[in-house]
Amino acid sequence: MSARMRSVTRWIGAAAAVSTALTVWLGLWVTPPAEVQGTLARLLYLHPPIAWVALYCAFGVAALSSVLYLWHRTRSLFWDRLGASAVEVGVVFTALTLVTGSLWGRPTWGVWWTWTARLTSTALLLVLFLGYLALRRVPADPEVRARRCAVAALVAFVDVPIVTFSVDWWQTLHQRGTVLNPGLTLKVHGLMAWTMGLGFLAMTLVFVWMLLVRYRVEVLADRIGDGELEVSLSERWAEGSMPVIGDGAGAAGAGATAGVTALGTALDATLRQPAGGGR
Amino acid sequence: MSVTTSPGALSEPHVRRRPHQRRARLLVVFALLAGAIAYLLVEGLGSSLDYFDTVSQALAHRTTIGTTVFRLEGLVVPGSVRRTARGADFEVSGGGREVAVHNVGSPPQLFQPDIPVVVVGHFASKSSDLFVSDQIMVKHSPTYIAEHPTRVRAPDGTVH
Repeated sequence: MSARMRSVTRWIGAAAAVSTALTVWLGLWVTPPAEVQGTLARLLYLHPPIAWVALYCAFGVAALSSVLYLWHRTRSLFWDRLGASAVEVGVVFTALTLVTGSLWGRPTWGVWWTWTARLTSTALLLVLFLGYLALRRVPADPEVRARRCAVAALVAFVDVPIVTFSVDWWQTLHQRGTVLNPGLTLKVHGLMAWTMGLGFLAMTLVFVWMLLVRYRVEVLADRIGDGELEVSLSERWAEGSMPVIGDGAGAAGAGATAGVTALGTALDATLRQPAGGGR
Repeated sequence: MSVTTSPGALSEPHVRRRPHQRRARLLVVFALLAGAIAYLLVEGLGSSLDYFDTVSQALAHRTTIGTTVFRLEGLVVPGSVRRTARGADFEVSGGGREVAVHNVGSPPQLFQPDIPVVVVGHFASKSSDLFVSDQIMVKHSPTYIAEHPTRVRAPDGTVH
């Protein structure tokens, strides 16, 4: 990551912190309590923005990156890393969506959790993308892993519109969209609406910042992974009794073979030691 | 690493196909699968994903429902709420019909007249229209209005 990119990341991080603090201040102290819900309505400034980041920002970036990786003209491990970073951030935000929703549901609906369509499909979304993260840890060639993960992300993404439209397609306990309803009519007004908008901006900035940082970690991890391979290979070469002749593929192959042979000899010697004679 | 064999070279099929043909075939299979899953989800699951029956739906299927437990949704009829020692008695309305509810258990804090609720329970008997419930859930609206959006004190001291 260039110095300029690092500076951009820092500025976005600062903007995210300031806008989040502003949202908290407006949400807790300045905005009025709402009709019916009273002070419980203040979760409006947090829960929908978090869900927005999880569903559309994070998994949107993941799906788009996957398409761009799978399309041969734009295929690059950049998209794979970006997609994986977005999924990881998305999983955190999906879990937060479920937690904040549960905290809101208990005092308003009367239950922490219930198997209504909106909640069930969101829980499924979390499980699907946890599956993506598990798939990423299955050892494979980077290109093979990238292809598998891209397909998995696209399959999991099918659940995103289901979550969105669940409240319109079926009768659910969860209310319909305050913003994303069929007529796209904003059902919140005045300062409450502005605070909610600021909440959306703040959570989006937090997401962008987390994505940039997570992407950088992914690149560094890859670099360390490559480095570790080099180190372990050279250790194996050092173990070998045969000198490494020449250079290039042949030499590396011979070195690795020699290393494995030496390891085999050492293991063999250990196993042949008489019982009790060890240590 | 130059020592490893390219995995692409190993998985090359015996029958030579152009890469874009294979990709097109994969895309078609993928689209068909996704379509089939979506169709199954929407058509197969259909109304079984509905969380509750409305008052008019429940009364329309009154004979088949019998005394099975289900979730009933309706608007709490203003003036019908009567707190009892063990819960609340009230009526819920929907689609022009009404059902009397006898609830045992403490209602949630937002429970009040004129709010939509989902009550879990069953009809008292096969012929009775009294709904016996042990849980009330409040289904609030997606609209958020400030408690006193335009509170103005008139010159005569009254609050509007």
